[in-house]
Amino acid sequence: MRVICAIGQRGGAELIQRLVEMAGDKAVCLLLHVIDTGPRHGLEHYLRGPLHRRPYHGRPSHETAFRDAEAAASRAVIEEALAAAKQAGLKAEATVKEGEPGEIIVQVAREANAVLIVMWAREGAAGHPRLGPASVGHTARFVIDHAPCDVLLLREKDV
Amino acid sequence: MMNLYTIIGALIFLVTLAVIMMRPYSISEALASSVGAVLMLLGGYVHPGEAVSVLLHEWNVYGFFLGLMAISALADQAGIFEMLAYRAGRWARGSALRLYLAVFVVGTGITAFLSNDATALILTPVVYSLVTRLRLPVMPFMFACTFIADTASFLLPVSNPINILILNAFGGGLPTFLGYLLLPGLFCIGLNIALFVWLFRSDMKFNYSPADLPELKLPRRQFFYFTATALVLIAVAYITASAMQLPLSIVALCGSGLLMAGAIRYRCLNVGRLTGEITWSLFAFITGMFILVRAVENLGLMAAFGRLLLNLAGDSPLKTLLLTAGGAALGANLINNVPMALVMVSVLKTAGTSPVIEAMVYATILGADLGPNLTTVGSLATMLWLLILRRKGLEISTLKYFQLGVTVVPIMIVVGSLFIWLRL
Repeated sequence: MRVICAIGQRGGAELIQRLVEMAGDKAVCLLLHVIDTGPRHGLEHYLRGPLHRRPYHGRPSHETAFRDAEAAASRAVIEEALAAAKQAGLKAEATVKEGEPGEIIVQVAREANAVLIVMWAREGAAGHPRLGPASVGHTARFVIDHAPCDVLLLREKDV
Repeated sequence: MMNLYTIIGALIFLVTLAVIMMRPYSISEALASSVGAVLMLLGGYVHPGEAVSVLLHEWNVYGFFLGLMAISALADQAGIFEMLAYRAGRWARGSALRLYLAVFVVGTGITAFLSNDATALILTPVVYSLVTRLRLPVMPFMFACTFIADTASFLLPVSNPINILILNAFGGGLPTFLGYLLLPGLFCIGLNIALFVWLFRSDMKFNYSPADLPELKLPRRQFFYFTATALVLIAVAYITASAMQLPLSIVALCGSGLLMAGAIRYRCLNVGRLTGEITWSLFAFITGMFILVRAVENLGLMAAFGRLLLNLAGDSPLKTLLLTAGGAALGANLINNVPMALVMVSVLKTAGTSPVIEAMVYATILGADLGPNLTTVGSLATMLWLLILRRKGLEISTLKYFQLGVTVVPIMIVVGSLFIWLRL
């Protein structure tokens, strides 16, 4: 069975361990990391706008720096997750995409004919309750609404 | 009795402000204010000779803007901002909280000496890259950079061009400036940091691996050291010049000249990039605003507004200061802080001289500098968050930013005004 493990900036290794605990190591995993381009686009608009110093026009280096940082971060995410999969004896391959995370996850699931998407209910959990209203992040919410297959939302264990 | 001539003049002014505020058809602020100024000249509201003398009187403002932008651009080219961010990353030793505090400290220092826009527009992207690389949540750090750019912008006269704009009209040395604004400044910075650390406390629990810090590439080591040394000299010169009441534009222009000489010496001067990083349209914008405000002043409307303000407050200095700072903050949000500061300058100039008027000048600085944090509209430094907010997927951040502004700024304005009142 084909399972998409959607991994954000952190928590990839734990997500895989939890999946193996629940479903064993028989699944074939596609580790998917989506670089959220929202904040970067927002920042680019911010830097480019009216009456601003417009460092952007003369500064391709920001753009390069943003992309380098994103590439390095996503490499680290994928390496961690692949190492965890290997340790658990799980068959896994990895892919990195960029865009709006929710939309990309759904699209990849459709293209790969996935039977299950596994992801955290909310990444970072910053200032939000573990259960109850607002405990599911907007990416996960979008995915449950639009996914062509079943979705498994993981919640943080402690607290 | 208002006649038609006065009404038309006032209308030109108000319509120009409305266009600047709403930017229909993406009309730029510079175009709007230039057209408004030309209409005022054609209508005879300002005599051309008078306009020239108004602009010549503001040479210090023009020189300061130019020098400041050039210094920031050259410092950026030398890699100063990257180095500071990298140092912050090293110092924090893997703790998101420590990194957050370090970003506040760096942001405060850059704002104090290189002004709010250096922090908002140059430090922000550098911090963004660093934080992305370290896989920490980016939004708290973005908020930190853009907020501290405004909150720390009344530590020194050079911390915000608006301060120069206002001080150019009233004078006042460094001791007076610090006397009125040092305590409010320290209080606001402290409150800003404490509140943000609390609001984003869950994000602050993360750790990163210091090994993930990107390798720092300094393309031209010697130019970097030269620039770092020159910036320290410029900082000292700023403080000395403010203390001696010398024009700060001279320091800014000489400083940028020194950095440029260094860039030529170490063969790193990229003229195209440097001129590209200076916003020339800003000069058209402020030129237009100077003429527009003078036109309205000639009609006697500023004096009337000033009397209204003083009458509203009655004989309570505290109330006057609160109204001034609050009004400047609101105006800076509704329109833009440059016209707001110019209107207040003009109003206060017609109000005569007294200790209360002097305190009102500093209350105006407080309001016009802090105000832009209130909402996302309104400042050279924060206007553009609006665009971010319109994007889907960031609604939570939108709401948070708005709540931050709405809760924190009034507290800062009220307490800041209290400090100024105590100094009276």
